[in-house]
Amino acid sequence: MATQVQRTSKSIPELSAEREVRWPKRTKTKLANGLEIILLESHTIPKFHGELYLRSGNAAAAARGTALAEMAATMVRTGTAKHTSREIEEQLRGLGADLSVSAGQDNSAISFAGLSDHAEPLLQLVNELAREAAFPAGEFERERRQRLEEVKLERTQPGFLAGERLRKVLFGSHPYAQVSPSEEQVAAYTREELQSVYGEFYTPENAILILVGDFDPAAMQKAAERVFGDWSGRKPATPESTKPPVLKGRRVYLVDLPASVQTQILCGCHAITRKHPDWIKLGLTNSLYGGAFNSRLVMNIREDKGYTYSPRSGVNPLRQYGYFSVSAAVRNDVVAASLTEIFYEIDKLRSLPVPEAELLDAQNYLTGVFSMGLATQSGLLSQISTLALNELPDDYLETYREKVRALKPEDVLTAARTYFDSANMQIVVVGDRKQIESQTELFGEVGIYDARGNRQN
Amino acid sequence: MKPLQIPIEHKTLGNGLRVVVAPDSTAPVVTVGVYYKIGFRLEPQGRSGFAHLFEHMMFQGSENAPKMQHIKLVNSSGGVLNGSTMYDVTNYFEAVPSNALERVLWLEADRMRALKVDDENLRNQRDVVKEEVRVNVMNQPYGGFPWLDMPPVAFRNWANAHNFYGDFADLDAASLADVQTFFRTYYIPNNAVLLILGDVNPAEGFALADKHFGDIPAGPPPKFADPSEPKQTEERRGDVIEKFGTLPAIAIGYVMPPRRTPEWCAMGLLDQALHGGRAGRLYRELVLEKQIAVEADGGIDDVFVYDGPTQMTTRIFHKPEISSEDTLAAFDEIVREVQGKGITASELDQLKVKWRSDYFATLEGGRGGHMPKYGLMHLLAGFTLFDGEPQLVNTILDGFLAVTKEQVLAAAQNYLLPQNRAIVFRKPMEKSAQEAA
Repeated sequence: MATQVQRTSKSIPELSAEREVRWPKRTKTKLANGLEIILLESHTIPKFHGELYLRSGNAAAAARGTALAEMAATMVRTGTAKHTSREIEEQLRGLGADLSVSAGQDNSAISFAGLSDHAEPLLQLVNELAREAAFPAGEFERERRQRLEEVKLERTQPGFLAGERLRKVLFGSHPYAQVSPSEEQVAAYTREELQSVYGEFYTPENAILILVGDFDPAAMQKAAERVFGDWSGRKPATPESTKPPVLKGRRVYLVDLPASVQTQILCGCHAITRKHPDWIKLGLTNSLYGGAFNSRLVMNIREDKGYTYSPRSGVNPLRQYGYFSVSAAVRNDVVAASLTEIFYEIDKLRSLPVPEAELLDAQNYLTGVFSMGLATQSGLLSQISTLALNELPDDYLETYREKVRALKPEDVLTAARTYFDSANMQIVVVGDRKQIESQTELFGEVGIYDARGNRQN
Repeated sequence: MKPLQIPIEHKTLGNGLRVVVAPDSTAPVVTVGVYYKIGFRLEPQGRSGFAHLFEHMMFQGSENAPKMQHIKLVNSSGGVLNGSTMYDVTNYFEAVPSNALERVLWLEADRMRALKVDDENLRNQRDVVKEEVRVNVMNQPYGGFPWLDMPPVAFRNWANAHNFYGDFADLDAASLADVQTFFRTYYIPNNAVLLILGDVNPAEGFALADKHFGDIPAGPPPKFADPSEPKQTEERRGDVIEKFGTLPAIAIGYVMPPRRTPEWCAMGLLDQALHGGRAGRLYRELVLEKQIAVEADGGIDDVFVYDGPTQMTTRIFHKPEISSEDTLAAFDEIVREVQGKGITASELDQLKVKWRSDYFATLEGGRGGHMPKYGLMHLLAGFTLFDGEPQLVNTILDGFLAVTKEQVLAAAQNYLLPQNRAIVFRKPMEKSAQEAA
């Protein structure tokens, strides 16, 4: 190797030739009982990661109560027909496994990771949790109390309060407006109600099992069939839901947290779901706006003006509807100034085509970060999950980068004009009313709320 | 069980910069990190929070890459970047498609060679850091609990006891001269390690490292303040007011034995026995069985990468109807139990399986799917800077897997002692005081 000292060049090195991005092969099967299984090899560490998804979440039970699927998920690991909570936890530890059970609006999931040399026993335990959770009464009361403390705590967190208010505004009487239960709702949960949610949602016809990791796919397929093959149950009916409101004009929703030393801003409007043909276009547009460190919003209100630490924008794809949102926690005296810049950057993207060079940078960013999923088991699992849950085409991973690269400045302009609905953006601010109300009045009629969600004016 | 064989190569450049390469061609992605051996523990007195503020300044411009260029170049090459300040190290890292390796090395070398920042950049980042402190600490329930609450209670040496995020007055007092002095003192090649992981050929990695970093002049070896603590003779306690949450919380920290000793390994497994998720003794007893607490967790701060007093810390959020003293008594009962009976052979077996599994997870992850090999990078950096032995990544696990029941018992008896611990009570404000605030 040459060790002679060279004066380092002042110019930026060019990128060298790109190595081909090759996604690992997936095997996808469907058992007679309806369970879909997707397997993918990744030998980075002697472990494997998995998800057992159930395609029903809080929204599907919204007519019966708020966040019932989530509470049911919490109960799943607390005891089965065969094992107590303590036995389950010790078994997991002995297998070197991590496991969590959770639910969002659209899905419930048993998520797990463990050592490859203990794979089948972990699958057996997952199977037992999916089929035989017993909802022990004592455990239910304990979990209920813990949940009660959680929901109290949430109401002191500015980020939570902003997100909850925005969802209520955007979704009205649609189930997606129900973010978290009140203390009274938690107190009213019953074991029977949770058990029936569990019984309906956790069925093979409603499930997808995804496994990624250090295994031989043929052997893993056989193991999965042995373990889950005799599970039975129908897909639950999908309840009808009302349409979200059409919102005209900007309005301000101020959640009053007296003596707050900072203000959480969250603006949003309706957008699209992941399956929509414009998804990639909007993703690129978002990345230019506020979806990357090097985006216009971050450069403006953080790197230029120092108003905030972590400004961010994103497109939030729920199954039935998606929405676009912009968030920043800012100094109290620059709430109006921050909102002005947030809208300035939105309106600029809607008014002027993005310069070619900036577009190319954003395309490189999106395509590069997308391929990083390849490097880890959890990254691959997350990519494959997105595909499976949104029923995206099988070649989505292989064609995503080309699709991003094919976009033109006109596409970004059209996406910004269509989905960054500047004139009808809803504006949530969480902070000290005394310090910020007059600043927010500049942006629309102000409704005031307390932390429990009650209207104050 | 196969022994770990992560390929690792290691060289030191003429200017003292250590370079570690860990090749793996699984994905066309390369992770680059530069670690400097200075963290918030040994930042200058009267300048609390400075090491972290300085970390922000490293993104504000260098000789040939002005403000915005670092972020722009990495993002537009398809990668992500960040930095973080820890007790004894500060890191800067990027994960990029492997065709951007040279570009990233050029950037890191450029800012190791010369930082080019002005007063405006400093004002801007001081504002950003204050909003960071507000969003993470001052405007959050239990913000800074216990990582900012514990040091002033547990320690007497300013190095270990001060506010690591920084008092705002100290942040305001920081000047551009402080920035350049700190840079000249600590940000020199002979106080750093460069790590290149993933899709790289080692010979090429070393050649590029030499090309870009080789002519950065070494500096005088930094003189580090002594972080050692005077001998503690009794338990220490302190109170902190909680402004938002309604649950009383307790943090209990025990000072750890020195790294890479058999006692250290035994404490690692004892930590797993106590804090290992829902099977851990604390969660099981306090949350599941006795139902005194609604949350109980804990662990050892950055167990592989520290170079001064560090703690194993438990956090308990207990029911308000149960007093803090009763909660602490229940905690002490768990400690006495393990000091009296130790752990069983089958418990130890489970702990080791879990420890091994967690270790693999650490190597691969640590920053989600978007920062591959962050954990491996972090361990390699620590083992290089503190031990001069990056290969420890392949063997460190052996010490933990060799721990005996007797060693775990001895660790409990010798380290879980009142004169080795500090306790912070985070007390919710009275309701009336809350409303008046």
